[in-house]
Amino acid sequence: MKIRHYEDMNLQELDVMKEIGSIGTSHAATSLSKLLQKEIRITLPEISVLGYEEAIGRIGNPEEIVTGVLVKMDGQINGLMLFLFNADFAHVILEKLMGQSCKDFMELDEIGYSALVEVGNIIICSYVNAFSKLVGVDINLSVPSATVNMLGGILTVPIAEYGYETDKLMYFNADFLMEGQKLPGWLLMLPDIRSLNDILEKLGVC
Amino acid sequence: MFEKELKVGIGDMKLTRNEGTIITYALGSCIGITFYDPQLRLGALLHIMLPSRVDTRDANIFKYADSGIHETVRKLTAFGMVKSRTIVKIAGGAKMFEISGNADFGNIGQRNEAAVKQTLMREGLRVSAEDTGGSYARTMILNIQTGAVSVRTFGRAEKFL
Repeated sequence: MKIRHYEDMNLQELDVMKEIGSIGTSHAATSLSKLLQKEIRITLPEISVLGYEEAIGRIGNPEEIVTGVLVKMDGQINGLMLFLFNADFAHVILEKLMGQSCKDFMELDEIGYSALVEVGNIIICSYVNAFSKLVGVDINLSVPSATVNMLGGILTVPIAEYGYETDKLMYFNADFLMEGQKLPGWLLMLPDIRSLNDILEKLGVC
Repeated sequence: MFEKELKVGIGDMKLTRNEGTIITYALGSCIGITFYDPQLRLGALLHIMLPSRVDTRDANIFKYADSGIHETVRKLTAFGMVKSRTIVKIAGGAKMFEISGNADFGNIGQRNEAAVKQTLMREGLRVSAEDTGGSYARTMILNIQTGAVSVRTFGRAEKFL
């Protein structure tokens, strides 16, 4: 294995991951667009390898309440996909899908919540599908698991899961834009270190 | 009056004396451990992330329950802490996500809790109060003047340990 930590990736390797992310995100945006019957654009994606505190700083503050949808990947690639969004995102989605308002996660009912989890799941799945086709690997996805809780607590999950390998998260940043309005959602793609090496090797950069 | 507030990040520890508060935000599967010697008004808050330091070259000693507790106790003892009167409280160790068909996933909280208790016992310290487990994150605050420990969570009332 050439890469032992996320932060060991050089510019070229990061660029490849960025490309993968960008293709994945475009597919995710297309799915979201079909679902909401609205045009969704994405901003130019960025990729960063961040420590825990930095990652929180990019998204919000540790006690901010967000919804996290988590899907585990296994098969030829092992790792986690985590999609996070705040109440503004939930509000836009629920209004479009069900004509329901959600100013605060506290007022979310069960149907609204499952709709949101499903939207998160669709975003993750379209991302992973595009990515697995591109790299030429089979990836099995788990049933999505979701929670509404403090951002800091949710982000410790991937951090602790790979805590013995790395202190960093690979954070992929592209904003979804609907009618010029930004939808605040964040996608984290976290292959384990072995899988990261496999991906880069398959694409001929490692 | 401006009150001194120390923030403890993930895998970190802060200690202080006499007044102020020490806070750590949003403990998920991590565990927050407060140490407080009432006679000296000396307290510390440690935020660990994993059970044990397997790689001994790893310089992040506060990241792990075993090395973190050991080092915290060593530092506090240097400041005069007496183990027999020290009050230890813990919070955290939640399982944030449940993945069906994969019961092992995210069990780190439980393993952390076990490692923390085991290490404390080895150090001759007893846990006097705890708020652990569940599926939600906790913010833990230690008041140095009074020794009071409070836990803040989403959608629940603030709790005093």
